[in-house]
Amino acid sequence: MKRRTVLGGVAAVGAVVAAGLYRFTDLFVKHYPPTPYDGVLAALTDRDEAAKFGALMRDAGTPESLAAKLRAIGNPNALARAAQSDIAAGRLSEVDGWIVPECVALLSALAAKV
Amino acid sequence: MTAFLDARTLPSGTILEPDIAIIGGGPAGISLALALADTPLNILLLESGGLNFDPANQKMYGGAQSGVPYIALDAGRLRFLGGSTNHWGGWCRPLDEIDFEARQWLPHSGWPFPRTTLEPYYQRAQSLVEAGPWLYDKTATGMAAQGPPLPMGEGGVYTSWFQFSKTRDSELPTYFGHRYEGQLKLAPRVKPLLQGNVTGIRLSSNGRQVDRLDVGTLTGKTFTVTPRITILAAGGMENARLLLVSNDVMKTGAGNQNDLVGRFFADNPIPRNVATLVSFAGPLPAYYGANLALDRGPVVRATFSPTDAFRRATHVAASLTTVEQGVELDEKGTAAVVTTAIALGVDASNAKAYSLGCGMELNPDPERRLTLSDEKDALGLPRLKLAMRMADSDFLLYHATMRELGRQLLMSKSGMVRINPHQEWSKNMDWGNHHLGTTRMHDDPKQGVVNADGRVHGIANLYVAGSSLFPTYGASNPTLNLIALTLKLADHLKKAAL
Repeated sequence: MKRRTVLGGVAAVGAVVAAGLYRFTDLFVKHYPPTPYDGVLAALTDRDEAAKFGALMRDAGTPESLAAKLRAIGNPNALARAAQSDIAAGRLSEVDGWIVPECVALLSALAAKV
Repeated sequence: MTAFLDARTLPSGTILEPDIAIIGGGPAGISLALALADTPLNILLLESGGLNFDPANQKMYGGAQSGVPYIALDAGRLRFLGGSTNHWGGWCRPLDEIDFEARQWLPHSGWPFPRTTLEPYYQRAQSLVEAGPWLYDKTATGMAAQGPPLPMGEGGVYTSWFQFSKTRDSELPTYFGHRYEGQLKLAPRVKPLLQGNVTGIRLSSNGRQVDRLDVGTLTGKTFTVTPRITILAAGGMENARLLLVSNDVMKTGAGNQNDLVGRFFADNPIPRNVATLVSFAGPLPAYYGANLALDRGPVVRATFSPTDAFRRATHVAASLTTVEQGVELDEKGTAAVVTTAIALGVDASNAKAYSLGCGMELNPDPERRLTLSDEKDALGLPRLKLAMRMADSDFLLYHATMRELGRQLLMSKSGMVRINPHQEWSKNMDWGNHHLGTTRMHDDPKQGVVNADGRVHGIANLYVAGSSLFPTYGASNPTLNLIALTLKLADHLKKAAL
């Protein structure tokens, strides 16, 4: 067997194993197709729930406009700080009646649109 | 001990001459009679019903209505000794200071005196309703064993407290007729007269004083009472009716020279399921969703109330929001809670949701009013006609209070609120059966039927007692407050009549 064939086979098996591992870890950490807004969406630790909530805001704006308002938020800690800041300043949104910090509403709306 | 007189046993043409005639044996009338019982004054307490419910008497309360759906006029009150305490729930809470204030943003608002004027009477009123020691907003300090109140960030809503009538045993609230029947019988100068319906307050020809009261029974007897002083204490609807039907001298009705009698009628709307409250940490302490009997103490229940400062700043009306029952969230509600809790960095895995209900205050409205209809009752008196109204702004104001509650729960990371659509509030609307405002107090005769003492403007010896005097209403249940106001009247009468 030629050396090139062996290496090719090893590479193919490696790719299959890597893909399998990727799907396996999906059980623990959901993977999403890349988007231009991943820097912002990284603040969400449960993007599926946020997307369900965000689906209640059909007229929230384009993903670009939402992301622009959220660009300072890139991780859960920053989201917590932004939420507290919104609450203290009275920047609240009513989403289907739910009173939430404005940043939570915007981020959820973005999650629903990507 | 003397038995009560029954008007049906008196010969027609009888003339009774008490010092004071009290028309109505409900909480105001009974409290007043008891408060005056230790004076030398002879008191006649005229009760139109008997000791128990009687459909024939109750029928006298029937009337017509229009506008916003409202309880039938003969269903929200009871015509026998004890009056509407015979079906009350026993909820007690003093009015807030701001309820007494004239507010520039709220037309027709303000009492002719501040709450401090009523303070000396609240303790005795509390004793009469048997609600135990006066705790109310001091209750929270003694609740450690039951679990601390839901943490709320600083803001315009706070946890306030109701107390409940009758803490003895586990019986129903204090029914004034049954509870005070014995004391009334023991009072030598108080004569309760049952089955005696006042059919007219007859004024002197110049209209400046009451000459006599015409009284009739359903059995056809008629007689006369000639008191030195008359106090109308027949409830928020009947007080207005008796003034309006007494129109032989003043053609628009006694005390109605400025067309105010019957106007400004109000009640406390009680919309159910106005909002959903989620407690992130799990179930709330029992005193939120149910009446809780403290060990050898009063029965209490927590409620959410806007602070006076918040009301001044935002112009919201009074409201008392209570937890009703646990509810299940749908998928979207769960998503809202999970997403928000994660954003706040709190664990909501044990979160518990509850529906909220509310007792609201209506703004004063002169067009929400009682007038006389063409239909007559068994004694020939015109029946009442109610034009009931409720403005959208009444709901909008409450919405702002709920939003503030939601903000404060988020601030403390303890929970969150969903405000349900206003259409749902209307669908699930109850009323407090609190009949308020129809003989409102004001020092200016052009703005009130009675003055700060409860005396009808222009009539020297006619007073009104009860919640019909409230010029602005608050959200607190009126019984405790109307009794305090009546005890103030008793002090005034002691000076005026002795």
